[in-house]
Amino acid sequence: MKTGTRLPFVFVVPTMTVLAVVALVPTIDAINIALQNRELSNPDSHYVWLANFAALFHDDRFLHSMWISLLWELLTVSATMIVAIPLAVLLFETVGSRLRDALCVLFIVPVLLPRVSAAYVWKFAFHPLYGLAAYPLKLAVGHPVDLLSDPHTAMATVAIVDVWQWGLLFSVIVVKLLETLPRQPLEAARLDYARTWEIYLFIAIPMLRAAMISLVFVKMVESLRAFDLIYVMTRGGPGIATETLDMYAYSQGFIESGLISYASSMAVLMMAATSLVFTVIWRWAR
Amino acid sequence: MNARALGRFVTRAIIVVVALLVVIPVVWTLLSAFKHTVDIQTTPPILVFKPTLDNFIYVLNRASVRGALFNSVVISASSVLIGAVLGLPCAYAVARYPSRHAEDIQFFVLSIRFLPPIAVALPLMVIWLDLGLYDSRTSMIITYTLFTLSVTIWLAIPAFKRVPREIEDAAFVDGYSAYAIFFLIALPVAAKSLLGAIVFSFVLVWNEFLIALMLTTSDARTLPIVASELSQLGFDTPWGILNASVIVLSLPPLMFLGVLSGFLNSFLKRKA
Repeated sequence: MKTGTRLPFVFVVPTMTVLAVVALVPTIDAINIALQNRELSNPDSHYVWLANFAALFHDDRFLHSMWISLLWELLTVSATMIVAIPLAVLLFETVGSRLRDALCVLFIVPVLLPRVSAAYVWKFAFHPLYGLAAYPLKLAVGHPVDLLSDPHTAMATVAIVDVWQWGLLFSVIVVKLLETLPRQPLEAARLDYARTWEIYLFIAIPMLRAAMISLVFVKMVESLRAFDLIYVMTRGGPGIATETLDMYAYSQGFIESGLISYASSMAVLMMAATSLVFTVIWRWAR
Repeated sequence: MNARALGRFVTRAIIVVVALLVVIPVVWTLLSAFKHTVDIQTTPPILVFKPTLDNFIYVLNRASVRGALFNSVVISASSVLIGAVLGLPCAYAVARYPSRHAEDIQFFVLSIRFLPPIAVALPLMVIWLDLGLYDSRTSMIITYTLFTLSVTIWLAIPAFKRVPREIEDAAFVDGYSAYAIFFLIALPVAAKSLLGAIVFSFVLVWNEFLIALMLTTSDARTLPIVASELSQLGFDTPWGILNASVIVLSLPPLMFLGVLSGFLNSFLKRKA
């Protein structure tokens, strides 16, 4: 049908042109800026080529923030999946379909909250003196505990909020995916006296392998966008205990020093690393 | 049998606890938004108190909040609208007219999502400063269009693919032009899923933080930015006011809870 129409051309070309301009102009300019020595306070700049990149690898705070980012990725991605899959199985196995649907609606509430809101809700809950989540802790230990000001617990506490948002959303998605599975293989396994957890671990979850990989992939991309959560809850602190790459790039490029070029070189490295990793994963998963 | 009953009890308990982990923080925030500071700072935390509207009155009367609310509405609505007007036809063409470029377009659109926001925000800060558009609603709308457009295309492609082909073929036989088929057949049939995609793009830009933080300083600040600055009022964190601002900021995305949950259902059901 519909041969010889120019519709694809008319519909695709203007849109893709707009998208290419708004996507490529900043990314190419990011590389351009990273090769200069531009500062916010000083409009005169010239090309210093790779000097910014060379400087990065002698910058301990940069290396630290890279480590923190990596840790944050590992922690939030794995915790999200570890919460989501068993919770989904529990919901699917033990809750009737109507209650399950209602819970599924409830469980996507956290992720819809703006990150700033979620961060405040939990920062308030973890407030050492009158926070609801900190209160039982205070009773147990006998003195107020400030989880967000302790470098040992700050990142894990922020990660709880991230998993609160994403782990619950993912559990809903996994429930919906389990509902689409054919019943026969699961029932056959049950007739063969497989235990419930064996049915899910060895049959149901492997049947959803492709979907699970996509979920991990989505979470990896989203975990890179935790700036707002960290910014509101700890500002990268205490000290630099929760300072991720984008947090450090922000403070270098904007507030602390206005070293736009230096910050851009970090952004370019992040962009290169994520594009490479995600392109490889994407092609491999297909 | 006893072990079984115990197992059932434990699983139920886990689900109840998780549900409470969603309900309690949200309800607690709502309650605290109506509390006087004294009632917030009492230990142990109290449930019964004399409610007040002071926090909401304070938040909604601040010039910065009103300005930010206006900015957020204008910037989100405009970028979502542009995203839909440009994105839906493009998604339809990709879904319905197979070509060797279709796969590349999809990958390009998705790869925009990989971009670290800081890598977009830093150069755009320079670009908008050079063009004299820094801290303006125009520059924010253009910037956010990048996100609304890519997300709308990405989610609308499967929505258009789910429109039964026979309906479009029948319309073609009846003499409908390719454009008429898009506007009169495909759009209305896929309307529900498309609405979900558009609402999703709205939630994304309404909630956006890092880019707005770097591209605005006063005139074009959005609501998340102003809300994040309320904690710096005075010496003591004004938790009542903060909770009220959290409620105001979170209401628009939560209004679409039903639409988005339905969208998630249909998106996952047909895919598998």
